[in-house]
Parts: sequence; structure tokens; C-alpha cells
Amino acid sequence: MNPTNPLFIPIILGTTRQARMSQHVANFIFAEVAKREGVETELIDIRELPFPMTGENGDIKDPVFSEKMLRADALVLIVPEYNHGYPGSLKHALDTCLKEYIHKAVGICGVSAGPFGGARVIENMLPVMRELGLVTIFWDVNFGNVGSLFDESGKLLDDAYIKRADKFLKELIWMAKVLRYGREQVALE
Amino acid sequence: MANDDKMICPECQVEMNFHAVKIDYTPAMNKAESVDRMFGGILQEFHSCPECGKTAMRKEKASE
Repeated sequence: MNPTNPLFIPIILGTTRQARMSQHVANFIFAEVAKREGVETELIDIRELPFPMTGENGDIKDPVFSEKMLRADALVLIVPEYNHGYPGSLKHALDTCLKEYIHKAVGICGVSAGPFGGARVIENMLPVMRELGLVTIFWDVNFGNVGSLFDESGKLLDDAYIKRADKFLKELIWMAKVLRYGREQVALE
Repeated sequence: MANDDKMICPECQVEMNFHAVKIDYTPAMNKAESVDRMFGGILQEFHSCPECGKTAMRKEKASE
């Protein structure tokens, strides 16, 4: 492993809806990741990605998104819970890549209007993550009652989330380092 | 079975590390002749460069 290379951990905002509260969550997590030494990050908004809804796999792949996934050591997914499931647009975006994800870490932040903080959507995401070759961590951040968690400007109103995000990111970064070492140094026998 | 030769990173010209295999079932859906009969798809190897982290993929040799 080349230790001078910083980790690259992009944040993926996983909804395209107007007036999405997940935008505030994504901004908050992005700022928390950006504070970390040795980590580079970027906020990727799937609304900005040019994925057509029809076509063969090769046709719908976006080279810019693919390159970012290839460079990534870990991903943070910001996932709102819609009817207990994940947004189809997020699944569509993630499905355009595969080799880019193999043996990389992923952490999921669930977002919901109700009290459970996306706990159900996170559980639904896990088998998808596994099939994409991503390695999940056991910390999540659950942003429940999201409508009252931020003010109109997007400022977080509950400081407990800072500590929760810290625990989540510490494990994600540990997993990203371990998996980078494994990808680059530990051979499959 | 895994290929014996190491992949070389096109950017850094160093040997890449072979760290994963995944079954790709798409060729089976298309009735391609190259499908590995034992696994029902094509086995794809994943290799990463220890210098730049670039990932590459290639087909594994078919089972005997």
C-alpha cells in the first residue's frame, strides 16, 4: 500500500426528489468527512448523474461516476426510506458499476420522516451491498424525524449526531484502510 | 481455475494483486459458449494495483 495516498471516501446523496431532507444529512456528513486528515471526499448527487433509464449495461455507464467509484476506498450512502425501501434511482445508479466496488467499504446513513431513522431501508440495502462486492460496517447513522433535525438553512439542531457520525466514520475509515491493504497486498489463494 | 500469470498495471507497470472472483451470469443469459459449466456463468478475476489502487478484471480459466 502506498501510505501517502489519502483515502477517497465520496458521499452519495441517494435521492433525486425535490425538497429532499436527505440533502441536509448529506451536507452534514460531507462536512464531517472533510474534517478528517488523510481523507479526501466529494459529494455526489445522483440527481446530477446522466443515467438513461433504458439501454444495455455498457450504454448507461457514466465514465465520470465510474472513475470516482474506481478511485474510492469507501462509500457513504445517504439513503431515505421510501415505503420501507430505497429509492429506485439510487439502485439504478449503483447498478451501473461493479468492478469499481469490489472489496471496498460502505457505510449507510438512513433518513426518514418517522422515528426509525431509515432502519428498515438500511436492512434492505445490505444484500444489495453484498452482491455489489461492497463490505458493510456495523455502524449506521439513523436520521429519524428528519423534518425537525435541521433548521431551514440546513443547520443541525441535535449535537448528538456529531458523536454518532464520529463513531460511524471511525469504523468506516478503519475498514477502508484494511480493505485497501487487502486489495493491494493480500492475494486470493 | 485462476490464471497463473500476474496482471500488470497499465499505469504503473507493476504486478497487480489478485484478490477476488465473482460469477458473471450475463453470458449464461445470452447463451454464450464460454460459460463455465461448473459454475453456470463466467468467473471474473479482480486485481488491484499496489501503487495506484487501480482495479482490473479478467476472465478466469474455465474449470476442467
